[in-house]
This record gives sequence, structure tokens and C-alpha cells, in this order.
Amino acid sequence: MDNKILTDSKFPFCPGCGLGPIVRSMSKALSESGYDPLDVVLVSDIGCCGIVDPLFATHTIHGLHGRSVALSSGVVLGLKDVEKKVIAIQGDGGATIGLQHILEAARRNINMTLILVNNMVYGMTGGQVSGLSSCDFKKERGIPDSSPPYDICELTFTAGAAYVTRVNSHKVLTQRLREAVTTQGFSLVEVSSLCQAYGVSKTTDLKNWTEKEVELRNENPGKQKSSRELVPLIDMDSGMGSQFRSDLTGERIGFVIAGSAGGGVQSAAKVFAKAGILSGLSVSMKGEYPITVGTGFSVAEVILSKQEINYTGLEKPDVFIILTNDGYEKVRNRIHENAMIIADSGVEDLVHPNSQRVNFKQIGGKRGAVICALAHFVVESGIMEMEALTTAISYGRHAASLLKAISNLTGIHAVQ
Amino acid sequence: MVKKKSKTLIDGSKIIVEGLVRAGADIFIGYPITPSNLFYRYAQNRFPTFHAAPDEISVLQWMSGAATTGRLPVTATAFPGLALMVESLNMAFAMELPMVIVVTQRLGPSTGSATTGAQGDLGLITGIVPGFDVPVFCPSSFEDCWELPARALQTAVELRTPVILLTSKEMVMTSRSFDLSALPRIDPVIPEIKGLHIPYQSYRAGEDLIAPLLSVVNEQHQVRINSSTHDLDGLIAKNEESLNVTRRLKTKINSRSEKLCYYEFDGAKTGKKLIVTYGVSSFAARDALKELRERGEDASLLVMKTLIPISAELIEIIESFRQVLFVEENINGQLAELIYGKLKKENRRQLNKLGEQISPTEIVNELV
Repeated sequence: MDNKILTDSKFPFCPGCGLGPIVRSMSKALSESGYDPLDVVLVSDIGCCGIVDPLFATHTIHGLHGRSVALSSGVVLGLKDVEKKVIAIQGDGGATIGLQHILEAARRNINMTLILVNNMVYGMTGGQVSGLSSCDFKKERGIPDSSPPYDICELTFTAGAAYVTRVNSHKVLTQRLREAVTTQGFSLVEVSSLCQAYGVSKTTDLKNWTEKEVELRNENPGKQKSSRELVPLIDMDSGMGSQFRSDLTGERIGFVIAGSAGGGVQSAAKVFAKAGILSGLSVSMKGEYPITVGTGFSVAEVILSKQEINYTGLEKPDVFIILTNDGYEKVRNRIHENAMIIADSGVEDLVHPNSQRVNFKQIGGKRGAVICALAHFVVESGIMEMEALTTAISYGRHAASLLKAISNLTGIHAVQ
Repeated sequence: MVKKKSKTLIDGSKIIVEGLVRAGADIFIGYPITPSNLFYRYAQNRFPTFHAAPDEISVLQWMSGAATTGRLPVTATAFPGLALMVESLNMAFAMELPMVIVVTQRLGPSTGSATTGAQGDLGLITGIVPGFDVPVFCPSSFEDCWELPARALQTAVELRTPVILLTSKEMVMTSRSFDLSALPRIDPVIPEIKGLHIPYQSYRAGEDLIAPLLSVVNEQHQVRINSSTHDLDGLIAKNEESLNVTRRLKTKINSRSEKLCYYEFDGAKTGKKLIVTYGVSSFAARDALKELRERGEDASLLVMKTLIPISAELIEIIESFRQVLFVEENINGQLAELIYGKLKKENRRQLNKLGEQISPTEIVNELV
């Protein structure tokens, strides 16, 4: 046996434990496959598998119970194109609590090998059975649990693993491990092994409790490939200068814009905020909508201010732009007597001394109604130049249709 | 020629993601959660490597694995996700792996209200690795959203530790007009290997208490990373050497509390009334300070940008005031409790609110 994969440390396992032969087979399979120790990253789980680190001259990582496959996946994802053989060693308890990680690694065909040492018990906590303990084993031990074990080989293979095998005899173990560690993609070797403390002494015939051996190879395993175009999120010089005049009378003005999902409330609020910046004002803008983003209300708040804005809350909004009944329901308890209301004529049950009702939906269509209502406010209040709004629209999506909506509105105003 | 001031409409998430990438963070592992949604979206097209993990336990495990290969990982989450990460975060802390975890606070407890902002997670984060300090930075402005992520990453690399960037929904999802051209340049953090002892031992630290981190990519030195109590080699051990490794996890961060201390102080260092706050409540506090001064009050403001570890310098400032008001958007005053514990003092008052931002008026009313 070539010893270079292993250190000189004494094996710490109970006499007769399967982990001894498994470690020797791992070493043999790796050196026969041409790996040097530092070509290998061994990730050990918690349990008896977790005490193997000192035996290996490879890189070693020792993590949490059940998470060694996820931790190994992270190593592989971090490596990108660097060639390393990543191996996780885990017991059946770890595989039970970490089943999701195994399926995920198989589904993604992560380039690693999982050596799953199935001794059918939690050996370090008193010999409790796991999700991989066979029915015969449980029956033999008088455990009242007739539910079948996870067939981890079948599950992993179905999920997309490149190579899976269950080995009950140590005679073929080295050869199967060699197959696994030379496979590109996710490979699993489930090794049935005895726990001397909690398995053998209470079990008469070993052949009865193991699941049958398998060896499965996926001919078309999935490949990890992601190519994306990286785009800087901000351009330091992309800011908008103050191009237009604003005629804000007070220090600041707060708007609540209320409509329905899909009605362009958030995008119109953004355009309006940008128009504020183009008019030399400080602005803030935030949105609120239910978790069902495709239905129900959609509310935005915009503040325009001569000074820098710190606090963005709106204790008493100055203007309410209300487009739909959903939106009105959401904000109606915030409306106060000094507020100005601009509402679509379709909004029901709205009575306020300072309200203006216009059929914005007819003028601007479903998507353009909000921007029309904001343009209406701009015309009525003279808070900013209309060109600030149209310039802001031209920066964004749906510019043509929104500009058309605005021109419909200003046409009506001109006639009036 | 004086450069003409120009502004962009931008949210805090975008500034933070860009700041992290420019600082050298190169892999984002995400699991979607509100109100960290924007981080995930922006990271997809900005980080050199992006992976969507199937749950938050996997997120921290993948980040840890990637960190052993020399990558600088980032994720963004909220309380429910952070809660799932706790064991793995402890692992990363014990393994001494650099990474940045952005936590966007929302109303709790439990699933609470996903789209309502809050400042209620400090109580968990304070003890997230019980007895030890995971550095926590907390942006209180868009300038901070630019600079603190880079400092968080720098700290993670220099101190070989996970670092938390604690934000809130209002900080990262609300858009503001902001002058990007005034922001300072961010240089990438370059991990340095200082004082490498041969033969290499993964947990042997020099006088600076930091053990140089070699990646598992290297082919010269064996790297052993370990989450359990371990010796200098990185092997499981229970002896004086391994307990010293554990003790060092505390001292390497605590001994740098002054260096890691970032804050904004507006006022005289001994005075009458002091507002102490952090994160999103800082906006209201700044407005309140202005109004209090206009009313002739002797008021000062301390905005804490490093929440853990707490430096003696900050305690000194707080203690020098006759009247102190802690302003926090949570039910019990978690920063006040972090500093003073359950011991209530008459001149140390709290203004807390649940489910809604604290307004400048409310702060002013407490102090006039």
C-alpha cells in the first residue's frame, strides 16, 4: 500500500470497526488514481467519520453534523477551474439530517465524492437508528419502526449524480472508490459497515440487514456552467444635473401615490422622483405592496425637498394621488382635512373638500393613468416644469406610450 | 471649474453591493428573503460568481467552503434566514473564515411582517456566537452604505472572521437622490500572508493574534480547517493549547475594539443631552438634533456605526452626558441593553417603537 496519502497517526477506531479498512481503501484508491496528498481536500462530518482528519496528509476540513456535503460543495464552487479532488466522508446520521445537501450536490452534479459510511446507527450518542437503518436491522434490535430506509443510492442517482454505488463487501471497495474519485461530477459510495458497539453484538446475521449492492452510472450527467455579463451597478458620473426650475413653496412636500398592482404606480413614482432631481430638489421614494405582488394595492411615497432629506417617513402627506379603489382602501385612514386629493373619477366613496376628480384612466390608459395624475398635479401646482417630467420619462421604460399619455393630458389642459 | 453637483436616484442595496464588489468580495451565495431582495437581484449581475443555494444553512456552508479556497464570500438575509444560519455561522467563526453577512432587519419576532422595517435583531446578533464577538457594522447613511461594506470586508480578511453588516428595510429599499461623484474610491482588499511559520499550522497566530490563512488551493502546505475545539494544527484536541486557540478567538477581536470603532458624533464631548442611535433611526435623530438646537437646547448626537465590539471610547462619550436618550426601532431597546444590561439608570432613557419608524418629532418631544 502506498502510504503517502496517510500520515503515521494511529487509527482511533474501535477494534473491528469498518472505518479502518475504509480509510485504507480511500488511501489506495487515491494514490492509484495518481493523486498527491495536497491534490485532495477531505471534508469530514460529525460522528465516527469525523475523527479521520489526523490520519490524512491531505488538506482536511472538519465541520458540522450533516453539513459536510454542503461544505464540500462550497469548496468546489469556490475552486471554479482549479483541479482538486474534494471528498466528503459522512455517516448515515449525517446523511439523514443533511439529505437536502446530498440531493442538491447530486442535482448540480458538483464535482466531488461522498463516502457514506452506513453503520445504521448514531454511534456517538447511544446507538439510535437513522433514516438509513434497514427494516431488518430495526426489527432485529426490537425498534418499533417499520418505515423503510431512504435508498440514498436511488435518490442520488435520480437527482442527477454521475456515479453511485452501494458496497457491502470490502473486497470491491477500493475498485469502487477508484471509480468514484476518477468520475467527473458527483459520485457517491455508500459503504455498509458495522458499528462494533451498537451493531454487531446485537445482530446475528449481517447479510440480513444490508440493502442490496448497486452500481449506477449516469451517461449524461449535468454540467455546471455559468457565464454572465458583469455590469457595474453604478456609474459615478451618471448623475442628473439640475436642469429645470422648481417652484416648491414650502421646504418640502410629501406625496402618497396609491393604485393597484400592475398599474405602474412604482415606476411612475420613480419617474416623478427623477423629475424632482432634474428640478434641483432632494428626493426620496419608497414603495409598499402586498406579498402577492401581482394583485391588490400598490402604494408609493415620494418626498420632494429643498434641503437634504434625512427622515423619509410621512407623518402628514400633503398630496394623495389615488387611482383605484384598492389604493384608496389602503391609504384612506391617512387622509386628513388639509391634504390635497387628486383622484381618478372611478374611485368610489371618496369625499373630500379639497379633491379633484379626473378620468385619468381614459386619458392615459391603464399604464399611463398614474403619470397623467402626476402631470395633472404639476400643471395645477406649477411645482416643476412639465419638461422635467417628460425628460424623466424619456430615461425610462415605456417612454413613448407615457409621453403620449402626457400629451393627451396637456392637450386637455390647453383646451381648458 | 467647480464640478456641477449631480444626483442619481438610488437605493442602499445597490450602493452596498457595488461597494462590496469594488472592495474585493468575489462570490455571492444567496437565498431569497424580504427585505434583502434587492441584494440578491443586484448581486446576480455584479458578483464575479453567484450561486443560488437551496436554503440558508447551505448558504453559510457554501460560503465557508468557498472561503477555504481563498474566495471572499457575501450573502444577504433577514432574521428568519439568519436564525437558520446560526450553527453554521458559529462554524465559520470557529474555523476563522472571512465573509460578510448582510442582515436586513424587518419586523419580528418569527416571520413577523416581512415588508416592515425594524431594528430588532441586535438581541440575537449580540449573542450569536455566545461569549464571543462577531464584528457588526451598521450603516446610518448612504455614505456609510458605500464605505462600511468595504471596512467590513477588510475586517473579515484582516481578522479572519465573519462580519455582519446590519441594515434595515428603510436603509436598503428606499431610494434617495444621492451624489455618487462625491464618494471616495474603494480599493480592493488584498489578503496578506504575514509571518508564515514553517511548518505551516493553520491556527498558529503571531503577536497580532491572527493566524495566516492559506487556501486549500496551495500545493506546498497542508491546510487543516476545523470547527470543533482544535489545536494549532487544526486537529480536534482538548488541552491547554486548544483552549488557547479558543480564547484567542475572543481576544483577536476585542483587542481591536478601538481600531474597529466607527461613529459619528455631533456635539460637545461633555454636555447636557445626548441622543444615541444607529442605523435607520439616525435619519430621524439628525432632523431632531437640528430642531432641538433651533429651540436652544444643548443637544448632541452619537450615531454608532460599529455595534460590536463596543469600544471604551464610546462608553466614555455616553457617560460624559447628564441625560442620554437611546433611540431604537424595537420593543426593548437592544443597544441600550447591550451597553447597560438590565440595570436601569434614571438618566439613561429609551425611546422605542414597534412596527413604524421613530419620527423626529417623537425624539424632540422626549428631550424638551
